[in-house]
Amino acid sequence: MAQIELKSLSKSFKTGKVLDRLNLTVEQGEIVCIFGPSGAGKTVLLRLIAGIEEPDEGAIYLEGRDVTDAAPETRGVGIAFQNFALFPHMTAFDNIGSALTARGASASTIKAKVEKVAAMLKISHVLSHAPRALSNGQKQRTALARALAADPKIVLLDDPLRNVDAKLRYEMRLELPPLLRASGATVLYVTQDYKEAMAIGDRIAVLIGGRFEQVATPAAIYRAPASVGVARLFGDPTINLIPVKPRATDAGAACEISGATVPLGGAHPESAGRAVLLGLRPESLIVAGEPGADRFPVDVVAVTPLNEKSVLLMRTHDGREIFASEAEVENEPRQPGPAFARFDPARALMFDEASGARIGGRA
Amino acid sequence: MNAGVKVLGAGTMNDIALSLAGVDKIYAPMAKKPVHAVMALDLDVRKGEIIALLGSSGCGKTSTLRMIAGFESVTNGTITLLGRRIEQLAPARRGVAMAFEGYSLYPPLTVRDNIAFALKAAKFSARDADKAVKEVAALVEIEPILDRYPSSISGGQQQRASLARALVRPADLYLLDEPMGQLEPRLRALLRGRLKQLLSERHMTSIFVTHDQTEANALADRVAVMEGGVLQQLANQTELKERPANVFVATFIGEPPMNVFDAKVEVGERVRFVVENGPQLDFSANEFSEAARREIAKRPRVTIGVRPHDVRLNAGSNEARVVSNQWLGDQSHLGLEVADKLMVAVAFSEVGAARGENLRYDILGAKLHVFDADSGKAVSHGAAAA
Repeated sequence: MAQIELKSLSKSFKTGKVLDRLNLTVEQGEIVCIFGPSGAGKTVLLRLIAGIEEPDEGAIYLEGRDVTDAAPETRGVGIAFQNFALFPHMTAFDNIGSALTARGASASTIKAKVEKVAAMLKISHVLSHAPRALSNGQKQRTALARALAADPKIVLLDDPLRNVDAKLRYEMRLELPPLLRASGATVLYVTQDYKEAMAIGDRIAVLIGGRFEQVATPAAIYRAPASVGVARLFGDPTINLIPVKPRATDAGAACEISGATVPLGGAHPESAGRAVLLGLRPESLIVAGEPGADRFPVDVVAVTPLNEKSVLLMRTHDGREIFASEAEVENEPRQPGPAFARFDPARALMFDEASGARIGGRA
Repeated sequence: MNAGVKVLGAGTMNDIALSLAGVDKIYAPMAKKPVHAVMALDLDVRKGEIIALLGSSGCGKTSTLRMIAGFESVTNGTITLLGRRIEQLAPARRGVAMAFEGYSLYPPLTVRDNIAFALKAAKFSARDADKAVKEVAALVEIEPILDRYPSSISGGQQQRASLARALVRPADLYLLDEPMGQLEPRLRALLRGRLKQLLSERHMTSIFVTHDQTEANALADRVAVMEGGVLQQLANQTELKERPANVFVATFIGEPPMNVFDAKVEVGERVRFVVENGPQLDFSANEFSEAARREIAKRPRVTIGVRPHDVRLNAGSNEARVVSNQWLGDQSHLGLEVADKLMVAVAFSEVGAARGENLRYDILGAKLHVFDADSGKAVSHGAAAA
């Protein structure tokens, strides 16, 4: 049974429409990341589901029940926010147990549940501490423990790793999905970091301008983004988008890039004669010193390291800036200067220039 | 580093543009405990070099930048720029160009005039000034707002205009505070490359502050890692990754940073590191230099470390349970349960291992880092003593 179902959910504020007829179905035990640029309406959506805000139109079903008009405390939802929002005057133990206390659970039940979730999140040793005595990582785990303590069927997490340091963020990215699965809860997880969304979500719902542009698995979104808008949000550096108008040749379609004719082989026959954006991920561009039939000339302008890779900022002969990223070769750093680039046409993406929609299948 | 002895690396005194010696910053607010924000800082910046001050909030990096700029007084120590002592000079007399939060644009002037104003003092002809303004505006992508007033543009645009104003004029030193603070990802990546090109081609000696190591690594020739007011290490990014000075740097630098474990040491025919509830890493003694072996043998307990990119998967005889296996588009991140902790491994390909399965892994002696268990200082990196 679907645990969370959003039906044509809309919300406007004075400044305009924030969420526009959203539909989403989340299955029992699934982790769905709500991902999008800041200001896309991600947090508003969580607030609607929690019952902190009311939708203008549409309905929210949790565990099969219409809760659109239900009070927040009756929805059975656990929430953790990016700023932790711990009660400063309470110990970590009391913070974690607060939802159970409010519900009138017995002291022994509270103790058992708090200790269980604290052990899972490795904060058993700080349960007697006040929030001010906790590190950011411990605060974050305490907030998470509080969201999970009452065994909610549905957990809403609003960018919970935003304010923790890098090392812990990487570790939590790896630890959180199994922990959340072990809790059995159905999870909506808001983030504005695409890597975090890919790491944590079973599926990702990409929220752009108040609409879900694509809801799919991380791999499907990376390999076959529904639109230019989605493609630009996934990848570091971001995808290169080159406007081209491929023409049909005897050997399949071909396009002009940087003054050279680049054959597309059998890939993308449907693009011939259309104005399209050729989407090339930086890691699928291969840079060489010598020209070749499938290569186009570039000037390597700058080489900057990025996360164990080298990023090459290159300029085409018509002045366009594009990126390539490649594994670092030890003791042989790339130097700026003229070079030639090529790509495997099967890994190129094509988007309609006017609508931004991806065209053709992925080869 | 000792204040009296300076290690200049490849440089000589003539190569040095900026020198900080024994610089302290103590904030002593009324009726409150004084805060020692920067401690005994020695820092030499070579001519044309790009330096990043990297650290988390409160590490002392911004205080350092503000002392060099002249926005903060120096409690102790000296600052020398091209042979001139500048620590007592007013900011405008230091020969320094800066883009700072709070060092804002002049409200009555358009963005164009704000940028060009800096060139009037430098006696540029109108034509040269116009050309320079256009170039720098293109670099930071603010051409469309050149004729707007500061109050009518966004915070991010103001930040870029202020960066343009600093970069456009000739100066002995450029000081940039979080130069790429709030940009969207594509422009940020473009600016990294363009700024790197501009600063290196024109040999502009620069210091910038950032909390983002991606930014620091991308732009800087050397990175000064700060924590608790103390310079932890000043090195290029390869050195920071391959020869971190201490456990702090090792677990701060790297995306993701280094995995560390406490281990008992046995040195004899073999060099063995025994991690409690974890693997026994057993190496032939000749995988370590004599000096490294001697240093390791002095210590019954150490902290050992391995970078996530150096964990070899599907190799060796150690086994660990897979906690997570995440594909991020161009790389895989794996979480392995090792010694009741999470060990992070990174591969630039997809790894076929499901959650809950056991995966073999290996750590080569050449990629093993050893730190003193108490001080955290590096003992050895690979075969070599630190």
